[in-house]
Amino acid sequence: MIEIDHVSQVFQTAGRRGHLALSDISLEIGEGAFVSILGPSGCGKSTLLYIVGGFVKPTQGAATIKGKPIAGPGPDRGPVFQEFALFPWKTVLGNVMYGPLQQGIRRAEAEDQSRRLIEMVGLKGFENFYPKELSGGMKQRVALARTLAYHPSVLLMDEPFGALDAHTRTRLQNDLLNIWERDRKTVLFVTHSVEEAVFLSDTVVVMTRSPGRIKQIVNIDLPRPRRRAELLLDGHYQKYIVDIEHLIDDTSEEVAQP
Amino acid sequence: MIAMRTILSRAAPVLACLGLLGIWQVAALLLNTDSFPTAWEAVRAIPSILGDKESLINILASLRRMAIGFSLAVTVAIPLGLTMGRGRLVASFFNPLLMVIYPVPKAALMPIIMLWLGVGEIAKILVIFLGVSLPVIYHSFQGAKAVEEKMLWSGAAMGLSAAQRMIRIVLPAALPEILTGCRTGLVLALITMITSEMIARQSGAGNILFNSLDMGQYDTVYAMIIIVGAMGIGLDAAFESVRARLVKWSEPGFDIPLSFA
Amino acid sequence: MNPRAAASDVLLGIVPIALLVAIWQAIASFGYAPPALLPPPGAVFMRLARQLGDETFQAAIAATLFRLSVGFSIAVILGVSIGLAAAANPTVNAVVRPVVRVLAPLPKVALYPALLLLLGFGHQSKIMLVAADALFPILLSTYYGASMVEQKLIWSAMAAGTPRRQILFKVVLPAAVPSILTGCRIGLVISCIVVFLAEMITSTDGLGHVLVTAARTFQAVDMFVPLIAISLLGLILNALLQGLRSWLLRGFPEV
Repeated sequence: MIEIDHVSQVFQTAGRRGHLALSDISLEIGEGAFVSILGPSGCGKSTLLYIVGGFVKPTQGAATIKGKPIAGPGPDRGPVFQEFALFPWKTVLGNVMYGPLQQGIRRAEAEDQSRRLIEMVGLKGFENFYPKELSGGMKQRVALARTLAYHPSVLLMDEPFGALDAHTRTRLQNDLLNIWERDRKTVLFVTHSVEEAVFLSDTVVVMTRSPGRIKQIVNIDLPRPRRRAELLLDGHYQKYIVDIEHLIDDTSEEVAQP
Repeated sequence: MIAMRTILSRAAPVLACLGLLGIWQVAALLLNTDSFPTAWEAVRAIPSILGDKESLINILASLRRMAIGFSLAVTVAIPLGLTMGRGRLVASFFNPLLMVIYPVPKAALMPIIMLWLGVGEIAKILVIFLGVSLPVIYHSFQGAKAVEEKMLWSGAAMGLSAAQRMIRIVLPAALPEILTGCRTGLVLALITMITSEMIARQSGAGNILFNSLDMGQYDTVYAMIIIVGAMGIGLDAAFESVRARLVKWSEPGFDIPLSFA
Repeated sequence: MNPRAAASDVLLGIVPIALLVAIWQAIASFGYAPPALLPPPGAVFMRLARQLGDETFQAAIAATLFRLSVGFSIAVILGVSIGLAAAANPTVNAVVRPVVRVLAPLPKVALYPALLLLLGFGHQSKIMLVAADALFPILLSTYYGASMVEQKLIWSAMAAGTPRRQILFKVVLPAAVPSILTGCRIGLVISCIVVFLAEMITSTDGLGHVLVTAARTFQAVDMFVPLIAISLLGLILNALLQGLRSWLLRGFPEV
């Protein structure tokens, strides 16, 4: 469904030299797959996400979705950011209704849809609250609802739970999977947590540190629906984590050697 | 490519000046009235103003008043602001007072001050002094407040007395902010000076402006505007280069001062 | 929450005034200054109260208020438009930035004689002077507010289907409102100050003119009255603006 073809990204830094963030990434993402992009800080994983989202143009190579080249952002690829990026001047309902209204859906219908989504993410009763009045976890739920509201075929999630405390994070991971199970959208999920990647995904793409390259693609063959309590005690799950952590360690050490 | 960009950005203000003068020229030619001479006519009138002894004395008197008012203000305001920044009691004492005085246009106090002190140098210098003091106090206060406690603790540990800590730690650390306040104060000094001279006319640049207005010497009016404008730009640029050199270790601030009358 | 916030702002504004009045009264009572030069606050406020009922004085307040409002409004409209345009468009930015840099340190009051020549001695010259002075802080704060909008807000809006040309009004402008309002506050103070000064320099009516007239007849009390009046006017307008600000920014976290 999504094809990333020999994409490289060079950023201009303050000194005249360019910084190679991504180096020759080629990747295919199938429809309905939950794919994590995993790697140490600075490996360019967010950049890759932004390229698929159309927010950043690759300096080399191209990305396509369903055969069509990605030229800019669009409602077929909905982002969810770590910083939430909610519109502070709008209420929860206002934020969620934004997408549908942009699509031209009539206000009454948009409000109806949005209220149902808000209930689905567990925030019923908070429709008229402003983002500043919500906790981090609640804000991220709103962000998710806002993105789902315009029915993207792909969800692009950039370390969405990174700013949350551990407990909220695990709750949201569960809720995300529950929501995802309903219509099985394609998901591209950026994270630096091995555990999170293995728990959530069908496939984990392990990247090296800067300049980012794909080190290995690991298929996660664990049954769904995934239950945290069960998996934590499951040997296969544990092995995946150990193996991938090993991969990452290797990756980090690679560049550390003189 | 990058060199070109640097040249352009350096030249930009000059280009902007020329552009504005150009627009003035065209507009004046289009409007074609006596009360709006062209830029060229105004510029041509400048040398005759600067050459005229009387006018020159006026202008220099203005500058001198400004200098005195500014220096006095800075001498009083910086220590006051610094003390307020480090001492809660002092701050609570002066703050309300300053907050009330701040929105009052100092130049508007001219008639009242003239009532008390008569016409003359002192009244004008006092007004300038008041106008400059406020932003300098405010910025010195903010700058002193922001100095890290730990720096002062180190100083105390090294055996510095309170006064020494103030001079050798707080002052340098707060210097960038203080200088920003001084820059605002400088712009305000010029504004206050011109305005007070327009209100209480005896001498000075403001006086020249309105005298020529009364006497129908329109070229002179506009020429004087250019001169005053040049004074403002020149003083600001000069101060900015001194400021940049004194505190080149600090973060760059806005390149445009936010000031008010 | 909003009326309470506005009320507490007003209350906070009153404390320093009360203090100043107290000091004033102290100086007058202790005889540090002769009443001809520094009349006691009681006398001034009584005179002010009486003047407020006087038609001529009311007309003066109206004239001043009119000029300051129109000038301020022009400054807001121009300042916000130019500021947004400069933040959105690099070409506009390249032109506007150096022009603002050149004009900012120039005392706009020096333009007053030219304005008088071109627009006459009535309302227009004062309105334009007010607009010229209030413009810059509003323009600058709009520009800085608009240029520092969080990138991810814009990206979220674009992904939701907002076309590029609508981003300015749907995302950048609302996000820049806090900054714009701060600039407006400064602009409002400037407007009050400048209109008063302009009326003092030349005018046939308005609060500034009242002060200058009283000065000519050495009436100290009558000189203080318009000064206090403009200060109160400024306070009231500022409180209104703060109220508007609280309402507009009800969703924003406190800065």
